[in-house]
Amino acid sequence: MKTNAAMKVLAAHRGDAVVVCALGTAANEWWAVTRSEDSFYMHGAMGFAASFALGLAVSIPETPVWVLNSDGSLCMNLGCLLTEAGQQPKNLKHFVVDNQCYRTVSNMPMVNQNGADYAAIARAAGIDRTMTVDDAEELDRKMPEINAAPGPYFVRLRVEAEPEYRRPPPFSYEGPEMKYRFGRALEKKLGIKVFGPTGF
Amino acid sequence: MLQTADVNDQIHAQLVKAGVHLAATLPDDWLNGLIRRVARDDGMRHIPVGREAEAIAICAGAFFGGARSVAIIGNTGLLTCTGEMATLCLRHAIPVFCVVSERGSIDDHMIYQEVQGRRTIPLLQAYDFPYRIIDSVDEIETIPDAYEWHRLQKRPFVLFLTKKLLRLKKS
Repeated sequence: MKTNAAMKVLAAHRGDAVVVCALGTAANEWWAVTRSEDSFYMHGAMGFAASFALGLAVSIPETPVWVLNSDGSLCMNLGCLLTEAGQQPKNLKHFVVDNQCYRTVSNMPMVNQNGADYAAIARAAGIDRTMTVDDAEELDRKMPEINAAPGPYFVRLRVEAEPEYRRPPPFSYEGPEMKYRFGRALEKKLGIKVFGPTGF
Repeated sequence: MLQTADVNDQIHAQLVKAGVHLAATLPDDWLNGLIRRVARDDGMRHIPVGREAEAIAICAGAFFGGARSVAIIGNTGLLTCTGEMATLCLRHAIPVFCVVSERGSIDDHMIYQEVQGRRTIPLLQAYDFPYRIIDSVDEIETIPDAYEWHRLQKRPFVLFLTKKLLRLKKS
């Protein structure tokens, strides 16, 4: 399964989910497929997209929240799985793009490349519902089940390393503008107040 | 218990007054009383974390859910997550309110707090993270103002609690 194909399947099944993307492959591919402004694309804090998504999920418990993580990011903060398990957020689904390499830095190999089962790690951390998928059609078939089940749900997307990878088009906005576009999108979508009456 | 419940009750009450109802925490000797106080509050979502940078990111995410939050962490932990505070919160201009023990202060003689006491403030200044040190009970009531101010500043803010404030015994 190629990452782009996996993202297209996820996009087709997204529904009302608010999406948080780890920087790098997950963010770039999700942006390339969706151009979605009610998604947050991390520009830093590698390893902490899942924590960001957890904070968001517990704050909007009636809204599905997805985090599109990556193997490189997950390995920078495996402890996020313990925190996630400790909170048991019913509205959080955790997808990990597992391509066994650091794709945005010339496909340099992941630590313990091919030797780690992240779904097993998630289960051992206390997340009962986990799945590994390596085929886009299978992912398409499984998504209704994943969406219907309560969170936390951890899905390992086992994708190809893609040595001929071509970088997707860049984001057309960044930094503070992303904050305001994402925050305003959530205010409109969910009827919540992210910003105060004078804008901060 | 090393510290009186009274001070922690007051800090907790002022956080509530500021609208805070989510606390991400990692224990520190000086803060355990406050963390226990927060954990007893049914109206406060308590998220214990395994690493301080998780608390920063959780609070940043909660911001977009419209939730007012606080990261309660030790000074040593603060030093471990300044990179995430910069590349997430400065990069995207996200306010995060941190309550931090002022470990390594002149009255803290624990050997492994030495560097924190000497280098934390210069490090915060280098990143341009605003901070305030609360040293007396009278200052606790400034917490709601500090909270509003940190949102205006759109970046991480550190509220240090001193050993004197927390009424700890001499180490």
